[in-house]
Amino acid sequence: MLEVAQRAVGAARRAGADYADARFGSDETESLTVRNQEMEGIDRSRSEGVGIRVLVNGRWGFAATARTDEAEVERTAALAVEIARAAARLPMEPVRLAEAEPVRATWATPVQEDPFAVALDEKVALLMETSRRAQAVAGVAFAEANLDLFRRRTFFASSEGSAIEQTVVHSGAGMEVTAIREGEVQRRSFPNSFRGHIRAAGYEHIRAIPLTEEAERIGSEAVALLSAKDCPSGETALVLDSSQVILQMHESVGHAVELDRVFGMEEAYAGTSFLRPEDRGRLRYGSDKVTIVADARLPGGLGTFGYDDEGVPAQRVVLIEDGIFQSFISGRDTAAMLGLRSTGAMRADGWANLPLIRMTNIDLEPGEGTLAEIIADTRDGIFMDTNQSWSIDDKRVNFQFGCEIAWRIKDGRLTEMYRNPNYTGITTEFWGSCDAVGGAEDWTVWGTPNCGKGQPGQVARVGHAAPPARFRNVRVGVR
Amino acid sequence: MPGPVGPGELRRVAEAAFDLPGADGVEVLALHEWGGLTRFASSAIHQSTWREDTGVRVRVVAGGRVGVAATNDLSEGGAREAAASALEMAEVAAPDPLFPGLAPAAPVPEKRAFDEATAAATPKRRADMVAALVARIGEGFRAAGALETTGTEVALANTEGQFCYAPASQATLSTVVSGGEGGAGTAERTAVRLDEVDPEAVGDDAFRRARESQRPRHLAPGDYEVVLEPLAVATLAAFLGYIGFGGKAIEEGRSAFSGRAGERVAAESVTIRDDALVPGDPGLPFDFEGTPKQRVTLIDRGVFVSGVYDRRSAAQGGRASTGHGLPAPNPEGPFPLNLVLEPGDATLEQMIASTRRGLLVTRFHYSNVVHPIETTITGMTRDGTWLIEGGEVREPVKNLRFTQSILGALSAVELVGRDTTIASEFFFSASRVPALKIASFTFSGASDH
Repeated sequence: MLEVAQRAVGAARRAGADYADARFGSDETESLTVRNQEMEGIDRSRSEGVGIRVLVNGRWGFAATARTDEAEVERTAALAVEIARAAARLPMEPVRLAEAEPVRATWATPVQEDPFAVALDEKVALLMETSRRAQAVAGVAFAEANLDLFRRRTFFASSEGSAIEQTVVHSGAGMEVTAIREGEVQRRSFPNSFRGHIRAAGYEHIRAIPLTEEAERIGSEAVALLSAKDCPSGETALVLDSSQVILQMHESVGHAVELDRVFGMEEAYAGTSFLRPEDRGRLRYGSDKVTIVADARLPGGLGTFGYDDEGVPAQRVVLIEDGIFQSFISGRDTAAMLGLRSTGAMRADGWANLPLIRMTNIDLEPGEGTLAEIIADTRDGIFMDTNQSWSIDDKRVNFQFGCEIAWRIKDGRLTEMYRNPNYTGITTEFWGSCDAVGGAEDWTVWGTPNCGKGQPGQVARVGHAAPPARFRNVRVGVR
Repeated sequence: MPGPVGPGELRRVAEAAFDLPGADGVEVLALHEWGGLTRFASSAIHQSTWREDTGVRVRVVAGGRVGVAATNDLSEGGAREAAASALEMAEVAAPDPLFPGLAPAAPVPEKRAFDEATAAATPKRRADMVAALVARIGEGFRAAGALETTGTEVALANTEGQFCYAPASQATLSTVVSGGEGGAGTAERTAVRLDEVDPEAVGDDAFRRARESQRPRHLAPGDYEVVLEPLAVATLAAFLGYIGFGGKAIEEGRSAFSGRAGERVAAESVTIRDDALVPGDPGLPFDFEGTPKQRVTLIDRGVFVSGVYDRRSAAQGGRASTGHGLPAPNPEGPFPLNLVLEPGDATLEQMIASTRRGLLVTRFHYSNVVHPIETTITGMTRDGTWLIEGGEVREPVKNLRFTQSILGALSAVELVGRDTTIASEFFFSASRVPALKIASFTFSGASDH
């Protein structure tokens, strides 16, 4: 399949491209959903094709096709060149590409057990048993268990001589339990919301998730939430579990540091960023407890790869160090605008899409202490667990998040349970109020497989790792 | 540029999957989609793309069990391979006692929503239109946005004898204009025919809003009267469709409308339908199970009437599908994709004139659900928010966060606009909505721009 990509690059060059790269991609998925011990969905999918990107006189063009015979690849390459030439009607500053050494390499996600080779009936049995145990809790209306597998093979070639084969494998599973009473609906998920805990790994990851063991507890919490009070309104110390910290990072750090947003390239759709190039090394983003990195080499991260979709090697980049903003994430074209090299963050949603700057694995570096120790150290506050909703403005400043469950912290102990908890804030004020970051003991690698960006819309599978953390004087219980 | 492959070719591919020993029924959804997008920022074209993709999605029924497999190999071999994979999935699946069987053969309403010139638009034509838009933007301001032109063919065939096919085209031009001393404006236009998209008008509208939103000041959050322009109303409509009008959520007691047929849920001036059959608007005449689309009245003069149903949720509720099934498997159930909020008779000027102290909102950004049963969502204003005082637009204000029950807002509607616009909140749906004047709307926070 590398030959298809190489043939596409050759065709693009013959059609007039100054630079060309091409990706032949093959995506496979398998997805199972069981609800109340009934099969709600079981499906597989496969998608193959080639995407061709060209530079002509400093302007990008991109075209992709599912048909990869020689004539079609030739025609699609010529179309990519035609698209780039059409951009001359309203030209931007000609694109320059930051230096990148050509690479010839093969890379694959380390996998102990091929998840696609595990028998379907074994997967179904796991989900059935999880659903049965949760459903056995009195008051549970719906007990859903799910399992998702993803494999992407990419064959990348460029006119600079790169030739890269990569295979990425993601596996995940989870449960979601719903309780309903008198016009109130409450939901609890495990290990995380939105289809569970997904990692770059094989089936060994799914075997390690204690789905059946936790089903009864999760069901009981969903039912208990129906009788809980609504989260009170006010300002308080807020402790977030690791899975909520990662979404807070995703929205208020990960997207804000995308260099294409800073240059206005996403302005009309997802928005821009409050950050400016001159903020590097100067802007206080958070307290000195906050160090955040983009690490495309993190074991298990959904943003872990050998090379990005421009062929740039995976890197670890410090974004915020001891609270001070340090670096954006970039691709070859945007990095060159600042005289830098790419941070290797160009990723495409499969063969049919143009690579964009996307998060790799955005991680909050561990501090000290366990979640239990942070709670024990909190005299008065609220602990929120498991994301339920998210919203942030077009410059990544004002945000609001909702979680599935919360507890009052009183004198270092969890006391009353609250339902419908949420909190709101301003990005730099919020990170500036961080006074405790948990240690490596509770530092967890999570997956966010549904990150949207770009036009046409693309969905990226990104990773995050974080420990629990505490923030002071946060407004909670927004009505 | 490629064009449609036509119903004959899609049917030939689909029916190749029918000969499947061990299967009681087979359903094939065949798709062909192609199109280009010209994207611009800082008043220059920076990203332009084109793609063509195909799809074959096979649902197999065997002994009351259901399996699904999909491929983008649009060939007889691809269809047969997907069918075999779907059967393998069905054989290990637990029986689905609610599965009502595949859709019976039934005639599908006529709908013309395909314009060959739109589906075949060239990069040069799109670039010329973007240039025409940008030419309307004054000095010191910049335009960003996209012009997308697409063609699609959808065919559904099953072993019950149903076959339906529809080609469709769509053109969408959207822009955000910003610059000057802070402030932004937006405008967009969606149509089946690219000829109906006037880039100069879109540019003029967005530029006017950008000029009028210069130097916004901070406004304290709180409860305000609002005049919501159609893009903002589309957000409310789409979220109500997502969390409220789906038949599965209604039957399972997870919707604000569960058990409330016949109850007043909104002001009398509010009537909402789902109607994919409006001539000239986007929308397929059948759903992804092959059921003909029905016009469904959801809220009639403020009273909840019914949700939308696919075959499985209809079986749950002891009723018939309304033709709102999504591609299988679909654990989420059906959603309305073509909401229509009936227009009233007020002009935007009348709405503003009737507002003592309130806000004029162009659109919302990055909204999300806070409480589904209360239909509460949160999000930000964006690209033009103004303070109205004494019936006149006084000054632009910085963006505000709202946290508001949708049904609460619809219950407080005072005036309904006479002009409607198609606007899309989610990529898969489009709503035709007017502006609304609402007596009270809760803004819970503010941003710095």
